[in-house]
Amino acid sequence: MSGERIVDADVGVLGAGPGGMAAAKALAAAGLCVVVLDEGHRAGGQIFRQLPPGAPHAAIAEPPSHAHGHALIDGFGASKVELRSGASVWDAKPGRLWFEQDGASWLLRCKHIVLAPGAYDRCIPFPGWTLPGVLTAGALQVMVRGFGVVPGKRALVVGSGPLLLPTVTALASAGVEVVAALEASSRWRALRALPGVLGNGARLREALWYGRKLLTAGVKLQWGWTVFGVEGDGRVQRATIGKVDADGRPRRETARTIEVDVVGAGFGLVPSIEAGLLLGCASRLLPARGGHCLVVDAEQRTSVAGVYAVGEACGIGGAEVAMAEGELAAAAIVRLARGAPIAAGIARKAARERKAADALLRAFAPLPGLHELAQPETIVCRCEDVTLARAKAAAALHGGSHRAIKIGCRAGMGPCQARICGPSLQALACGRPELPMDLPVAQTPLKAVRSETILNAPEG
Amino acid sequence: MSASRLPGADARPVVAFSFEGQRVEARAGDTVAMALWAAGQPALRASSRDGAPRGVLCNMGICYECLVVVDGDTVRGCMQVVREGMDVRRGGKP
Ligand SMILES: Cc1cc2nc3c(=O)[nH]c(=O)nc-3n(C[C@H](O)[C@H](O)[C@H](O)COP(=O)(O)OP(=O)(O)OC[C@H]3O[C@@H](n4cnc5c(N)ncnc54)[C@H](O)[C@@H]3O)c2cc1C
Ligand code: FES
Repeated sequence: MSGERIVDADVGVLGAGPGGMAAAKALAAAGLCVVVLDEGHRAGGQIFRQLPPGAPHAAIAEPPSHAHGHALIDGFGASKVELRSGASVWDAKPGRLWFEQDGASWLLRCKHIVLAPGAYDRCIPFPGWTLPGVLTAGALQVMVRGFGVVPGKRALVVGSGPLLLPTVTALASAGVEVVAALEASSRWRALRALPGVLGNGARLREALWYGRKLLTAGVKLQWGWTVFGVEGDGRVQRATIGKVDADGRPRRETARTIEVDVVGAGFGLVPSIEAGLLLGCASRLLPARGGHCLVVDAEQRTSVAGVYAVGEACGIGGAEVAMAEGELAAAAIVRLARGAPIAAGIARKAARERKAADALLRAFAPLPGLHELAQPETIVCRCEDVTLARAKAAAALHGGSHRAIKIGCRAGMGPCQARICGPSLQALACGRPELPMDLPVAQTPLKAVRSETILNAPEG
Repeated sequence: MSASRLPGADARPVVAFSFEGQRVEARAGDTVAMALWAAGQPALRASSRDGAPRGVLCNMGICYECLVVVDGDTVRGCMQVVREGMDVRRGGKP
């Protein structure tokens, strides 16, 4: 029976965010057969979240750049691309993507793969962060913009980087009172982003739009502040906040307590490169771009023949970068398949957008001192319930390598495959905040799927 | 329940399911996790160490903190779309 569940295409695209959609649309326009796989329920990826059809969506304010996103989604919907939503890709090799959809096991066979799997929020443990009601900043955006659900009455938003702004505006437009919005970076450090913003008209317009929105919502971004801890009986009721020094180290004497019922924490994004690693693609550590990134050449080719990568997987850059790189990857594939040359403007645009994004993100590189927020009894690995004290004991006993820490206390061995604790685990366990993040695990299944899906996987 | 949804007319049909034996009304297109959040139930699983409640962290399928048992299968509550009549229980250790 598994024999019927095989799809063939010229190109398989993993991810229906801006990067994947832009690539797929351009490939289809050139007459190639394209199948896009995405675990989400609708096209759009993380940024251009769409509400379920029929849901009220009156109140949500969106920045000017989202007009591109809606145009892209409309064009994508009208194109000949086959989008498979709710499709979790769990295994991959060159020319093959295995996925589960509606509980069934499928195989996509294709000549080329475009990886556009995006990124996920970077977490930094702090006391009380396991309480229900503490979510990532991205999760709150998904709740409001993707489901029309109001997160709470009084919110605290903490973290670092440009994504705090859409989180605050999403909350404010949902009628949530944002009691405090805390950016851990200092104002002076953030000034480093200025050339990147001023040098790019679209980014400047976006920054001004967010500035105006915050002003009307009456929210003032506090620079050099963060959360020290959260408390409550079964869910968030209070948070302690305070100032941090230039490296992010908490200045405990500044602590004060506020009443909130929901906390959004976003300390930047981590590129999702697991599928690329599984395919054998080379990666390298670029801390300012969020961590380990897939290495691509000037035409978005990875180190593995027939595998391309675009958007956040090549380093955090935002939607404009993802779209430009998606079009570039498509153009490179079209040249191979049809002999049509790559228009010069396409490569230039991708390079320009990437440069602007790099300039912006330099101001928000992770602050090592934030690793001092966790206390001995703070859970660092949420899947395996490992406290900081246990992780430290494991590092002391077995050695401070990622592998030794994992084997010593099981941190990072749960179903999230260290996506949540991995970025901070070694720094925390060794008590050396400057240590870099672990290379993500490249193991199947990439996503938890039913055991039947693996057993019944079509061969190919 | 309406207080925890964006204002405005909702054209989606109501989808009812049971959570720990209690009836919950959701809207078509909700995930289990979002329907339960809107219904004032943010705790989705109990941690293995001390039974402490856990709920949605990433809301995008990465963290596995939202595990629930739906008709006997352990799934991520933030990725599972609601179906009429489904039986949802709190998840345990991932
Ligand atoms: C929650 C969130 C909110 C954000 N909001 C903003 C914002 O307001 N403004 C801004 O400029 N940037 C925002 N970003 C940054 C965002 O990453 C980029 O702007 C943009 O969405 C990146 O595009 P992409 O195509 O690279 O990836 P994404 O848009 O992240 O798309 C990747 C897609 O791949 C899918 N996927 C990944 N792995 C698998 C798998 N194994 N199987 C199946 N499908 C898979 C995901 O479901 C996702 O839909 C946000 C990021 C997050 C995480
Ligand atoms: S909340 Fe993270 S997987 Fe569901």
